[in-house]
Amino acid sequence: MLTRRSFLALGSALTLTPTWAEISGAGTNRKLYASAFSTPEKKHYFGVIDDNGSILWKNTLPARAHAPVIHPEKAIIGIVSRRPGYFMHFYNLADAQLIKRIEPQKGHHFYGHATFSDDGKNLITQENHYPSGAGKIFIRQWPSGEIIHEYSSNGIGPHESILWQGNTLAIANGGLKTHPNNDREILNRETMEPNLTYLSLENGQPLNKLTHPKEYSQLSIRHLDINRDGIAALGFQYKGDLRDQVPLVALSHISWSDIKYLSMPEDVRIRFKQYCGSVCFDKSGNILAISTPRGGLVAFWDVNSKTYLGLKNCRDVCGIAPTDSSHEFLLSSGTGTLMRYNPIVGSTTMIKKHTNILWDNHLKCLSV
Amino acid sequence: MKQLSKYIFLAMSIASPIQASANEWQEPLNGIVNHVIKNGYNNYSASAQKLQNSSYAFCSTPSSQTLTQAKDSFKENTLDWQKIQWLNFGPVTYFMRYYAFEYWPDKKGITQRQLRALTQTDTEAMDAPKFWTSASIAVRGLTAIESLLYHPDFDPINSQKHCDLLKRVTKHHSESANEVSLQWKNASAQDWVFDEEGSGFDKEKAAMELFLQQWIEHMSAVKDAKLETPIGYHGRQNLKLAEFYRSDLSLNSIHENLKAYRKIYHSGSPSLFDIAIKSQPELAKKLEAQLIENQRLALQLPSDFFAPTQEQNEKVTMATPLVKSISLSQSYLTNLVTNLGFQIGFNSRDGD
Repeated sequence: MLTRRSFLALGSALTLTPTWAEISGAGTNRKLYASAFSTPEKKHYFGVIDDNGSILWKNTLPARAHAPVIHPEKAIIGIVSRRPGYFMHFYNLADAQLIKRIEPQKGHHFYGHATFSDDGKNLITQENHYPSGAGKIFIRQWPSGEIIHEYSSNGIGPHESILWQGNTLAIANGGLKTHPNNDREILNRETMEPNLTYLSLENGQPLNKLTHPKEYSQLSIRHLDINRDGIAALGFQYKGDLRDQVPLVALSHISWSDIKYLSMPEDVRIRFKQYCGSVCFDKSGNILAISTPRGGLVAFWDVNSKTYLGLKNCRDVCGIAPTDSSHEFLLSSGTGTLMRYNPIVGSTTMIKKHTNILWDNHLKCLSV
Repeated sequence: MKQLSKYIFLAMSIASPIQASANEWQEPLNGIVNHVIKNGYNNYSASAQKLQNSSYAFCSTPSSQTLTQAKDSFKENTLDWQKIQWLNFGPVTYFMRYYAFEYWPDKKGITQRQLRALTQTDTEAMDAPKFWTSASIAVRGLTAIESLLYHPDFDPINSQKHCDLLKRVTKHHSESANEVSLQWKNASAQDWVFDEEGSGFDKEKAAMELFLQQWIEHMSAVKDAKLETPIGYHGRQNLKLAEFYRSDLSLNSIHENLKAYRKIYHSGSPSLFDIAIKSQPELAKKLEAQLIENQRLALQLPSDFFAPTQEQNEKVTMATPLVKSISLSQSYLTNLVTNLGFQIGFNSRDGD
């Protein structure tokens, strides 16, 4: 049996940062998850939890953060500060030590999300060049942080992006022009043009760019996930009237010419309050989960049949991650709840209720 | 990995907020439901019926006198609405009733446009079953009635069509208000709380938490949408964005909202205030004082505050103390209920 001390010794004996395979070899195949969180006293942390909901380690953050980023090979996890964000912190999972801090270039800020390239040699971020409002994709060499490419995101407000098949980046250009001098105030509400851009990382050129019909121009495309078939699920946040009847969830593919909206019962759509939080496929890639903290629920769809499956109530829920089991998700909420839910069999497993932890927007499963 | 989990565990040791016992929230909840919501909808339903009756009386004998009576009924009903407007919860959420009761703000003039279209519609079509329940929310409630009574595009004294439309909108509006009132009479707040299976769910506390969230949100609406936006506190003045500006109810509406806040705070035995004063005396008193200050400052604004008689900068100067006071009361309320163990929204209030 390994102790914490022997684990740390193992870590230093291996390399400065062990690989996921080395860490997995040190124990069982237990699932770990990462998320930013805050306390009621407004202190901010980045933490790792196990599948019992116990916090394995936490590190203090200088400000509230948004989404974790996981290195594909090394046991390195990072967290991106929330919009307008000015730091990314990266940690060695084994000893919880901060190993790298990356800041944006002058005149830029992060949007809260980032991703590594499949080989782990590059870090990809979405950024706002706020003097112009132009959306940018930066490719940095890992671990040096040196910028090797700077591409246009082909839109304004690139919030989240997902890598597909190694060299294509699906970018949710939310369409919101903001400037840090005005915090998050939307400066172009009437002229928004959100889009989903599939960008070649080889040359920075768009491979496909999908937009809404004109009547949905205020439907900000914010979060996405892609399954193994290349189907991208999109979660929207509507910046128009709360009373407007607009779609909030959709599917896309690099080869499609338009965005295909998913339906849900109107009484459920109303409960979303025009706001989707996280977007997540299950392990099988066929079940889609979309959270709405404003509605206090997660809704589910069968992607192949495009069928709405049902919902799970959970106050202030936002974080979603797939578990090891098909059809099952781990949900995290701002009330401290961690629960597993399987929408096919309707089973709920309450994992833990942390009384003084407010789990932040996004939850990520670690590759352990 | 099991070993890793076991041995690198760090215990969390963050102080717990002071929390009232679970059942303690039943009384404040019941107090708010009975005294603010059920009574509020009962009055709202009664004045909506009165508005329908006076609209029918006006249309049967159109004159400036009967029109004035209809307008008076409209004002009474609108101010009754302001007492319950803070809560978009329960029966009012069905069929978009909350937004149908008042379609505001209407920046694009949708109500006017759709009402004009309706004046060209056959009355038989408008009397068909489900016509009004499936009609646009812009033409189903107080905003539409205000237009028909006050907007120069409409002349119900001389136009039978306009009067026919007024009768039908007030009838539908009255029926909707009555349905919400009846549904509240036969129900409790807990009926509209979505159960979270497996989480040791406390329905009373969850319902109370939703009420508090909506109260806090409504404070923002009063400060931002009702006060700051129309007078151009941060930008361009547009007095037509004031709530019920045609009927000159913009300021009176704020008065009623602010009065309702103190009623929420003090309803029940014990009330939220009674519970708060025991464990958070300083904050509880600060909130009470600020809620009173809000009312005092609102009463100091001139009755024609939303009329275009003063310059924008004068309006901003006059409104500033009230804007600051509402903002402060919102902070006190948020801190108070957080200290009492409520989670008033983290991701839901400030996500991205």
